[in-house]
Amino acid sequence: MKLSTKLTLFVTLSKLAIVVFFILTLPYLVDIISATYTDNLLRQKRGKVLDVVAREGIESYLDGQPSYGSYTLLKDEYIALAPVETDLQLDTIETDERVLEGDTLSYRLLSHTFKTREGTFLLEIGRETATISQYNRPLQRFALIVLLSLIFVTLIIDLFFTHYLIKPLGEIIKEKLVNQQFPFAKNQAPIKTSTSDFRYLDSSLMLLMEQINEAFEKEREFTANASHELMTPISILQNKIENLMEHTEVSDLIQQRLSEMLRTLSRLKKIVNSLLLISRIENEQFAKADNVNIRALLGEVMEEISHRLEEQEIAFEMNFRHQFSFNNANHDLLFQLFYNLINNAIRYNKKSGSILIKDDYSKGVYSVYIKDTGIGIPEEELPFVFNRFKKANLSQAGGYGLGLSIVKSIANYHRIKLDVTSKVNEGTTFSVIFP
Amino acid sequence: MKVLLVEDEKTLAYEVEAFLKKAFYICDLAHTARQGLEKIECNLYDFILLDLGLPDKDGLVLLEQAKKHNPDAAYIILTARGNIEDRIKGLDLGADDYLPKPFSLLELQSRMQAISRRKSGMNSQLIPLGEFNVDIQKRIVSHQENEIELTRKEFDLLSYMLLHKNRVLTRLQLSEHIWGSFVDDDYDSNYIDVHIKNIRKKLGAYGPVEWLETVRGVGYKIKKS
Repeated sequence: MKLSTKLTLFVTLSKLAIVVFFILTLPYLVDIISATYTDNLLRQKRGKVLDVVAREGIESYLDGQPSYGSYTLLKDEYIALAPVETDLQLDTIETDERVLEGDTLSYRLLSHTFKTREGTFLLEIGRETATISQYNRPLQRFALIVLLSLIFVTLIIDLFFTHYLIKPLGEIIKEKLVNQQFPFAKNQAPIKTSTSDFRYLDSSLMLLMEQINEAFEKEREFTANASHELMTPISILQNKIENLMEHTEVSDLIQQRLSEMLRTLSRLKKIVNSLLLISRIENEQFAKADNVNIRALLGEVMEEISHRLEEQEIAFEMNFRHQFSFNNANHDLLFQLFYNLINNAIRYNKKSGSILIKDDYSKGVYSVYIKDTGIGIPEEELPFVFNRFKKANLSQAGGYGLGLSIVKSIANYHRIKLDVTSKVNEGTTFSVIFP
Repeated sequence: MKVLLVEDEKTLAYEVEAFLKKAFYICDLAHTARQGLEKIECNLYDFILLDLGLPDKDGLVLLEQAKKHNPDAAYIILTARGNIEDRIKGLDLGADDYLPKPFSLLELQSRMQAISRRKSGMNSQLIPLGEFNVDIQKRIVSHQENEIELTRKEFDLLSYMLLHKNRVLTRLQLSEHIWGSFVDDDYDSNYIDVHIKNIRKKLGAYGPVEWLETVRGVGYKIKKS
């Protein structure tokens, strides 16, 4: 769920909870308020009655009768005066039931005793409680409607506001993480936001990218420098051995040893050269200005490599159905890419195996497949075949190692996608998918 | 043939010098661009071998200056830099060839020979080889009046061995000459042997080929007085 949705949902739910709580407690609140109000009213009325009694005497009420009683037409209010024993003292307000002309009704009752010359009297003023709480339901309903519509209005405001608030986060993720291509661009503009947390996140991400760039830069620099520095001593060694081999007094055995040394040296040279090539590709030191016809290119590769097919007695089939020209490419690098792939297909093939190269053009995507019937690559090693120095099937001579690393670098440089599927002892298929 | 080698790495320079002397070249050494320029100003060379990474000057600048004094010399650039721009620039400035370090001395000699042949014009010369004659220029091997058809690679192999006659050439050296940088780590593979076998078969049909010797465990050599 999106953060803004979550936030809005949380806020809305908590508002709803509060509203429900309020609506549920509303009757009690109303009761308390109205009780207080009624009690005040009853006290005021008692004051009025006592006033009248003080001014005009109790007789003005009793009018010759022993007690006095009066109620409104609907019996929702009544007043009663009655003589009581002298030592009774009452001054309470309570809810109680009274029977008036056969109707049992619940009243809020004020009982007050006071003394006059004529004796002690009890004053009772009552107000029907039904009249107090009769507005509870409509009040509740009304409050519910008002509060719910308020919640709805704030919900919409919340949605817009959280969306606005969270927007920089989305931008940071999109600009700084999703849309980034390695190596990261330098001096990126920070995302505009007034939220300090997002600013912090943004600057941390930029710092991180810078650090990754720097580390990568260092690695590239190291590879380039180290390879370059290694070339001179390798040169010297190679030339020394070559000169040594020419001495006539060198025995056959030493001759043989020297040639083995040359071979080892050449391997070293190859590794260094490959590393250098990879670092040059990664440093983008190759021009991409050629227009390469892939079919013709593969013809060139085969011309260079076919002697090895014959030697291994490998059946070869090239099945091209499309003419595809790859623009803005480097011909030599692409040559190297296919050379390495086909070379691997030969090297890791079985005696009298076969190689099939075919192309495919579907949904605007052009691909070339190189399929061999070789030893295959175990599934767990497939993810690593393009890694430097990782070698599938270590028991075999030679290495996928740098050859495929070069393929990968060239592919990346040209935004070509590579795919590999393989079954042990059945063969491997490399797919070269053009952008 | 007079050669000037401008190379700041002394050990390397001495090895190249020793090799070239053995191949009957007269070799001068310079370890800085300044030294090199001094020598170029007062001598005429047939070959000037230039390292690009000199301590005092870029080799390409030296190449430009040297060309003024010694326009007829053949220039070969030797460098560990090896990027394509340098190569193109060097060849644009009039270098005749370009060898990336580390290079094989045999390859260097082969390139020098090819340049001399190119520069000396078309007057081809027949090199006797047993009962055969080899015309490097026209790329023909003949036995008396018969031309023997060799493939491009077979002829390359033969002429390379002929150039380095009486010297054992390893399979690696031979394959590097023919396939250049595309050689793999698996030299044990026998494609050089296959080519040699073909050469022996083709030439053997006309006459003895015992001058082409197999050196067990190492490679091949052409024995020729």
